[in-house]
Amino acid sequence: MIMMVKENLAMINPNDLTRPDCAVISLKEVTRDYSGHAGKVCALNAASFSIVAGEWVAITGPSGSGKSTLVNMIGCLDRPTQGALMIDGVDVASMSATDLDRFRADKIGFIFQQFHLIPYLSALENVMLAQYFHSMTDEKEARAALERVGLGNRADHLPSELSGGEQQRVCVARALINNPPILLADEPTGNLDEANQKIVAGLLKDLHAQGHTIVMVTHDPEMASLAQRRIALSHGKVFCHPVGGAIVPIR
Amino acid sequence: MFLRLLIESFRRQRRRKILAGIAILLGTTAVTAMLALATTIGDRIQDELAVYGANIVVTPAAEQLDVQVGGIDVRPDSGGATLKESDLKKLRGIFWANNITGVSPQLPVHILGTTSEGETLDVAATGLWFRHSLSNGGPAIVTGAPALHPLWKLTGEWPKETSPTANSADAVIGSALATSKGIHTGDTIQLTPSPQNPGALHSLHVTGIVATGDTVDNQILLPLSTAQSIAGTPDAVKRVEVSARTKPEDSFARKDPDSLSAKQKEIWYCRPYANSIAYQIREAIPGARAEQIRRVEQSQGTVLSRISGLMWLISAAAMLAAAFAVSAAMATAILERQVEIGLMRSLGASKTSIALLFYTESGLLAFITGAIGYIIGSGVAAWVGIKIFGASATPALTDILNPVLLPVIVSLSLLIAIAGSTPAIRRALSMEPSSILRTGA
Repeated sequence: MIMMVKENLAMINPNDLTRPDCAVISLKEVTRDYSGHAGKVCALNAASFSIVAGEWVAITGPSGSGKSTLVNMIGCLDRPTQGALMIDGVDVASMSATDLDRFRADKIGFIFQQFHLIPYLSALENVMLAQYFHSMTDEKEARAALERVGLGNRADHLPSELSGGEQQRVCVARALINNPPILLADEPTGNLDEANQKIVAGLLKDLHAQGHTIVMVTHDPEMASLAQRRIALSHGKVFCHPVGGAIVPIR
Repeated sequence: MFLRLLIESFRRQRRRKILAGIAILLGTTAVTAMLALATTIGDRIQDELAVYGANIVVTPAAEQLDVQVGGIDVRPDSGGATLKESDLKKLRGIFWANNITGVSPQLPVHILGTTSEGETLDVAATGLWFRHSLSNGGPAIVTGAPALHPLWKLTGEWPKETSPTANSADAVIGSALATSKGIHTGDTIQLTPSPQNPGALHSLHVTGIVATGDTVDNQILLPLSTAQSIAGTPDAVKRVEVSARTKPEDSFARKDPDSLSAKQKEIWYCRPYANSIAYQIREAIPGARAEQIRRVEQSQGTVLSRISGLMWLISAAAMLAAAFAVSAAMATAILERQVEIGLMRSLGASKTSIALLFYTESGLLAFITGAIGYIIGSGVAAWVGIKIFGASATPALTDILNPVLLPVIVSLSLLIAIAGSTPAIRRALSMEPSSILRTGA
């Protein structure tokens, strides 16, 4: 699997990254406008790129560059005003709200900067919550997911009894529990100290090695350097930044 | 998991839930009290208005004019049409028999005699039931003139019914007559033999003096059987006063039943209007004319409609206030859980499943507080009832708790909770989960 991913990436020419045929995520001319008191604001302007299965992509850019909007789109929490957004071969732009909820539960695993664990549920129950909204709870599977992130012995602890790094690992276990093809990590190490950053970075590396597609929003150049490719955003425009290459505007 | 989230929500947001619960509790208590009072107030007001006398009067149909001058029947004692006393038990067999609370037949007679002090008497008298058991084979009611005239003030005792062939009978003297003729309780009035009183009855034993505030103060009140014996008309009565629990008169009540369609007539017949009870009395007692005494009915209807209106207004205000309070409490509770909502949405929870969770929370709260509100409200209604209308004894629990009201109150409580929670839930679900998650922590 790992070999296959690496081979896939080796075959991709940066200029071919808009090709949807081998992509798990594909944006074509995706625009998102918001109407406010000050008039229409274009948060994302005709973005086009693709992410192939097993790829680790870092999304970077300053505040207000459209990162959140892009993440919301990829996370199926928002829909484009214009353009086509294909995830795992499905055009999510045309899906109903209910279908989108279902699709999100199946396809996306979220890892948040602020962990967003429910404080009154144990680590195990927090993982099971994702199972509950996906299909049905399975304590054995949830425990196994916690074991996988090295928290098998902390399953019954409340989030307040866990360190920041441990909480983030619970968040990763929760993101993985329904086997989604895409992991969407929003500043996964933004709230962690150096030691915990390393633990979480290692975890993401393992997940990537296991073949997970990871889309990671980050301000941290070190974390961004772990990704195979960087998609830089500025004023709603997307720039593709292949690892080791020069900035290549898609359009 | 659903149950876990539900329990934790109650445990963690205890203060908010208590606030919302108190709002629902106050609302449902007020509504229960109002409804419990409204359902019994008709009977209570009926009891109160009973002091003004009967609401239906039955006379012989052949008697076109109920000729009374100053409350005294001026027709000859033996003259005119009469009703049969033995027919009155049929009142216990009509459709609305159980609504008949009092029956008082009357037979006016004329008394000639001499008091213990030698005063000559030439006065009107009325034969009445004082404590008569009226039954048609089924359950009996004990009734008579005193029950229909609670304002009559008696000093002494009401007469006991005696055999028509006895030489002496009990009587009660009107207070004005007693004063003017110097008659006292325990006196004997010797009767003068007359063609109508051929001789069996010689004397009347005065068992009491009654003050009525009307023309009866100048009369002698006798047991009906005694009056029939004096008049020589066994089983006869001239007039029957009936007190019945009735539904306040409305425009439908005033319809002529014979002009209605069969279905409409059935509806009219099956409503306890004074008119429909009078109609059933006419059907039951041959040769009877039964009519409602409109003045009493109208006062009752007016009082009831005003009180009902006020109660509905208070109930609506209480519900509205509760809904607003629930709305405020839920808005805060949901605001505190925005991140949770955003997280659930990101985990794939649909808006419906999240709304279901919050509505179940409100519903559960409403169910519990509604049931408690029902119990407290019923108690308040009983207490208010005792304070306003008075009660001879503490009512039984079964009288206080009206089981029909429980589902009504719980439903209202659910309605308040759902209506109050909806704006907050809608607002929370309309927020973008991504923005909640980015800013809400």
